[in-house]
Amino acid sequence: MQKMLNVTSTLYLTRRKLLKVLAACAATGACPQITAALPQSEFPFEVVPASASGISWVHVSGKSPEKYLPESSGAGCALFDYDNDGWMDIYLVNSGKCDFYTPDLPLRNALYRNNRDGTFTDVTQKAGVAAGGFGQGVAVGDYDRDGFPDLYVTQYGRSILFHNNGDGTFSDVTEKAGVAAPGWASSAVWFDYDNDGLLDLFVCQFVDFSKEKNKPCGIHEDGKRHYCIPKIYRPMPSWLFHNNGDGTFTDVSKTSGIASHLGKAWGVVATDINNDGWMDLFVSNDTVPNFLFVNNGKGKFIENGTEAGVAYSANGKPRSGMGLDSADFNEDGWQDLFVANLDREDFAIYRNNRDGTFDDLAIPTGIAKATRAMSGWGLKFFDYDNDGDLDLLLANGNPDDLIKALHGESAYEEPLLLFNGTGKSFEDVSARSGPLFTTMMSSRGLAIGDFDNDGAVDVLISVNNGAPLLLRNNAGKHNHWLGIRLVGKKCNPDAVGAKVSYQAGDLKRSRMKVGGGSYLSSHDPRIVLGLGNRDKVDWVEVKWPLPGGGTQRFGNPPVDRYITIIEGEDKWK
Amino acid sequence: MSRYSGKVFLLVFSLGCLWLGPAILAQQSKVAATPSAASGLSPEQAITLAEQGRCRESISALKRAMSGQVPAQTRKKAGVAGLRCSLTLDDRDSAADFIRWLNKQFSHDPDILFVLVHAYSDLSTRTAQDLGRTAPQSIAAHKLNAEALEMQGKWEPAQLEYEGIIEKEPNTPGIHFLLGRLLLSRPDAGPDAGERAKQEFLKELEIDPKNAGAQYVLGELARQADKCDEAIPRFSQAAKLDSNFAEAYLGWGTCLVVLSHYEEAIPPLERAVRMQQGNPAAHYNLAVALSRTGRKEAAEKEFAIQRELTKNSPPDEPKKE
Repeated sequence: MQKMLNVTSTLYLTRRKLLKVLAACAATGACPQITAALPQSEFPFEVVPASASGISWVHVSGKSPEKYLPESSGAGCALFDYDNDGWMDIYLVNSGKCDFYTPDLPLRNALYRNNRDGTFTDVTQKAGVAAGGFGQGVAVGDYDRDGFPDLYVTQYGRSILFHNNGDGTFSDVTEKAGVAAPGWASSAVWFDYDNDGLLDLFVCQFVDFSKEKNKPCGIHEDGKRHYCIPKIYRPMPSWLFHNNGDGTFTDVSKTSGIASHLGKAWGVVATDINNDGWMDLFVSNDTVPNFLFVNNGKGKFIENGTEAGVAYSANGKPRSGMGLDSADFNEDGWQDLFVANLDREDFAIYRNNRDGTFDDLAIPTGIAKATRAMSGWGLKFFDYDNDGDLDLLLANGNPDDLIKALHGESAYEEPLLLFNGTGKSFEDVSARSGPLFTTMMSSRGLAIGDFDNDGAVDVLISVNNGAPLLLRNNAGKHNHWLGIRLVGKKCNPDAVGAKVSYQAGDLKRSRMKVGGGSYLSSHDPRIVLGLGNRDKVDWVEVKWPLPGGGTQRFGNPPVDRYITIIEGEDKWK
Repeated sequence: MSRYSGKVFLLVFSLGCLWLGPAILAQQSKVAATPSAASGLSPEQAITLAEQGRCRESISALKRAMSGQVPAQTRKKAGVAGLRCSLTLDDRDSAADFIRWLNKQFSHDPDILFVLVHAYSDLSTRTAQDLGRTAPQSIAAHKLNAEALEMQGKWEPAQLEYEGIIEKEPNTPGIHFLLGRLLLSRPDAGPDAGERAKQEFLKELEIDPKNAGAQYVLGELARQADKCDEAIPRFSQAAKLDSNFAEAYLGWGTCLVVLSHYEEAIPPLERAVRMQQGNPAAHYNLAVALSRTGRKEAAEKEFAIQRELTKNSPPDEPKKE
């Protein structure tokens, strides 16, 4: 990161001042080239324009005068390798026909195949994954253990499970599988809650909504109709589907205890908060308390968010939980949590106290101050500069396109935020990370993945009613790294829940492979281990999830490349 | 902050029509103050006379009607007529009597409550006019005027009033506090408003070290700036200065929870809960402190109260209502 600090003095302006200067520039048309003083490649991320990537698809929100709430929430995106060629492909979710919306022209989701040269080819039609309903998010997982990642597309109305046929095509198997989840599904995650080696499916449900139930609220002091605050809609239970191993699923929402808790769920991450080997779920809810579903290992989840301290704000009131993630950001061996909220609520970063409780460190980490005016959706912990510490990237945007009229300090379009991890805390480095971090966007989904296989983890951001943003990571390549693809044999094939530890000289770190995280999005399944300037890894250890549960250690693996580790095999590939 | 600003709000609200001329209620009664021996008037006759504007003749009979064996509807009419007549005659003692009677006898009657709102407002305006007449250059008059201007959103002249007082009498207690509060309220106060306000509160404490409000607001400013270690002594001092200052106890306890000083947080939070039983923040923070110190059962009780309180309340910060 040091290299990036040595830039023009204008970059040392505070973030707020910089934004003000830029706004003034835009207004007067007399802009000095403040952030253009340096080439984009000097900053940690650069935008790969559609002209270079070939990604011409655009999200259409279906904005209407009636302000139907689902228009404001979509959509998600994924980085995944659908054809198993070792290169990350892209899936993008769009709106579509539903009870309140009939697009002028048919809308579709998009699958872009990675051409391995920085460009992508639209293969949606051939693959058969256009969908066409009012899409929200996407979750990727190999539910049938055939080695090819499958797609679960959440929608307002009815969600879709696309089975990957392994030949470049997919089949809609929703009905056979029994995972349609009728209602307003938002984020979803594949994970193995009962440790039987098969990926189960958790699907967030937002509120009880339909065209008929759209409330005529939102006439504000500015005389205009705004999107309604979700508080006025009834909360709903989310779904948990147990994988039967024969292509079908059983809805265990009730028997598992999930459906006993009505929420307004936007985000979910599967993580192990108590290191007991059973994956737990952290679910963000909007205007009602967040859920922390603790897996008791007997097919049931105990909702413990309030007692754990992750359900409410410090004022004892629910916030508007949206994007979220889980990682061990302070390297103490316990999974911490993060949840983004709405403007003027502050985002929360919860340190795991190792006793089932969490403390919100948003204030001492500077997260609260940096996010006070923001509304956060997609977000992810990852080591963008490969220095060995987990960093944090946040994609933001207010759901109300008229928010400015109500709260001058808030904005509909908001910039990304980048926090550099120190292994214990974070530093907001957005202001010195280039023009991208002063660009106002209506971001929603965020997926991470290394699309050019250079070991620097890139980012894909979906934009509400706009073109997606593919960001090339220029920072990670300055350090050494090791990329690992885990393949479960006894455990679930995606090895969700695996813990990878490694030592490189004085650097000792561990990473859990969580399920999901972010918002409506799915990520590159590979883990990239940052090494800093160390050019040698002493060892890598994988603790596989149950039912295997074994631990394997590999000495002196190579660096600056990807390897595959298969559960139970002595040698990496 | 709400406790102190709340008091001021009510005061200023009542001064909404400051310097704006005759009161509404008095206008509703046509003045015809012909004296007459009317001691034998029936309540109905007295009401009729009052409605004709013959207040002096009717007021004694109206008073008798309020306390005698008279049907409720007649008493109500007599009370309203008497109140209007008292205000017309600027007989504030009689007005206070009618207000007391009406309050006692018709405390749930919306029509009466409406009349009383105007009566209080009218009396408030008259008292303000008295102040303006008798001591127009006094600090009290300037202070009152500044508060009224603030209420009307006229920030600049209000600020000038406060600054004028400070220039004239730099050591007057309360003015720096009011100026600091104005700076925090004023939407166009600029990016350094918080710091300028802080300086005003500090000056206030130099003049009046017992100003609990200034201590509290300084604590709240520190808390909002993510500086709980600075906020705690401010909150605790405010609570010491005013033992009924619930918000100070809550701020104190909440900051201790933020800093993970759970055991220490329990006493101030218990005080806050006792004083503000309907405040979910107090119950929540007490529950967290109890839970983190191993008192799970007591914590669960507090969590249950907090959950109940937040079930139908708006989210933390209403965004788009």
